[in-house]
Amino acid sequence: MRRIWIAAAVLLLAGCGVEPSGVTDGGPAPTGVAPGPTLYFVDGGELRATVRDTGRLGTIAEALSLLLSGPGDADLDTEIAPTAFAKVEVTVTGQEVELRVPLSTEEVTPLGIDQIVCTALAAHVQNGGSTEATVRLRFTLEEPGSRDPRTCPLL
Amino acid sequence: MTRFPLRGLRARMIVAFALATMIGAGAASWAGAESASDALVESHQRQLTRTLAEQIAAIAPTLTYPPDQAVLDRLRAAVGPDTTVSFEDLRSSDGADRATAELRGAVRERDRIATQRITADGRPLLLIGAPVMTTAPDGSRTPSGIEVYAARDLGEVEARIDDLAATAIGTAALALPVAGVIALLAAGGVLRPVRELRDTAQRLADGDLDARTPPQGADELAQLTATVNEMAGSLQASMAAMRRMQSDARRFAADVSHELRTPLTTLTAVAEVLADAADRMEETDARESARLAVTEIHRMVRLAEDLMEVSRFDAGTVRPRLEEIDAAEAVRDTLRARGWLDRVELTGPDGIALRAERRRLDVIVANLVGNALRHGAPPVRVRVREAGPEVRIEVADAGPGLPDHVLPHVFDRFYKADDARARTPGSGLGLAIALENARLHGGGLTAGNGDDGGARFVLRLPKEAP
Repeated sequence: MRRIWIAAAVLLLAGCGVEPSGVTDGGPAPTGVAPGPTLYFVDGGELRATVRDTGRLGTIAEALSLLLSGPGDADLDTEIAPTAFAKVEVTVTGQEVELRVPLSTEEVTPLGIDQIVCTALAAHVQNGGSTEATVRLRFTLEEPGSRDPRTCPLL
Repeated sequence: MTRFPLRGLRARMIVAFALATMIGAGAASWAGAESASDALVESHQRQLTRTLAEQIAAIAPTLTYPPDQAVLDRLRAAVGPDTTVSFEDLRSSDGADRATAELRGAVRERDRIATQRITADGRPLLLIGAPVMTTAPDGSRTPSGIEVYAARDLGEVEARIDDLAATAIGTAALALPVAGVIALLAAGGVLRPVRELRDTAQRLADGDLDARTPPQGADELAQLTATVNEMAGSLQASMAAMRRMQSDARRFAADVSHELRTPLTTLTAVAEVLADAADRMEETDARESARLAVTEIHRMVRLAEDLMEVSRFDAGTVRPRLEEIDAAEAVRDTLRARGWLDRVELTGPDGIALRAERRRLDVIVANLVGNALRHGAPPVRVRVREAGPEVRIEVADAGPGLPDHVLPHVFDRFYKADDARARTPGSGLGLAIALENARLHGGGLTAGNGDDGGARFVLRLPKEAP
């Protein structure tokens, strides 16, 4: 009789408490380390990805600031008009990255727009974002259709 | 193991019922607590893992790559204590490294976060191993070589699970009194008919053959009750039949005795006359025939008397007429009446008082001594003595004694030890009647052989007959 009670109690307690386990999967690994952001400039009329060696990946806004400040002394061109105020506001909502650039549509060519979109998406993906994301541009002066979602032709 | 005094059907039923209920309630609570605790551990684990991943992801873009010692320390500080960050040969400067080889292997092989529960210093810990990845702009990922190993305490979850278990046990315990009450009621319902049946069986055993239990319902107990009633009925019927046969036999024995008495008396008288006449007969053949007829008449009369006596014993109608007699004197009277005083050696003191019927004692002693004289060899000794509350009368002879195969049958009716000696003057009922007479007085009669080899019969009679 007593043995039955002990067995029942042991059975009851054995199921409780936190028991050691084997190795289980804990989901996707975090990402975000890189020697520097990937910036897109123009080389002979085509987009060219270059890694700006800043030592760290940084945010989308930082990558865009670097893009707006130009290619520097490298042998590359940019189709974005130089601006004194190189700060971009970035808002990420779900699959969409919204950028407020300190430029008007006049100040940037279609290739320049691709430069901005590709740089933003690259930084987004490298920061762990979705590869399916789209970019919506907000210019200081807008044209019809300038707000449409855009994707990078290279990615 | 202690033995519980669970002999009664009621106690056993209640315990079995309560036990079954407790096991059921316990199993249900246990299963509930088990799945709840699994879910609790699972969700807590997921949350800890997600938090770590988010912390790493938040700081990763600000880390210099490839990292130096300071960068690793900064990352470690950002994700909290009990964490180790490593990159190739570098390792963050503080924080105990608890990661198992198994976990490290899984982290490097799968390039995904791996978790493992361990127990360290008696506390449950969750180990989380997270590789930090480098993602190319096209989304392809490669390990950066930075690995974060964190240990998180699961003590709080364990405390909550213990609460759950305690609640489960409490719930199961609550079921116990309820189960006890239900078992008590059920046991009462089942056991009442059993008790009634037992009472009936007791009355039957005590001789009340009219006792019956009305069967109720149609269950196994009702079937048992019906069977018991049936058994009581057939017992009653056969008892009645037996009584009727017994009284028939008794009446038959009485009738036979009564009917035979007159012709036997007449026959005896005729035999006397015939014996006298035979002595005076001239013709030898006629005289021999007459003498043979007289012998056979005597034999038949004795046989008939013995048979009547036996049937009276069988019918149970014999009652001894007890009187106070002197044992040795009664034996001596018997011997004297048969003219055996000079052939038998009688020893024994006078004055041993005995309550018995004189005629029956005479029949027993005459039979035993007659047998000794007829089948044994002289000297025949009769010894009367007192043995406690009994009087013992021992008849022994110096003959060859009783063979072993005869001994168990000497008191059987019509038993003849030797077929060749079939025609003896005795009826073959003498010893049987002697034994019945001894028993009638509450005594007994045993046959055996003496130390010197002769047959030895011992009659035991209580001094105060019942």
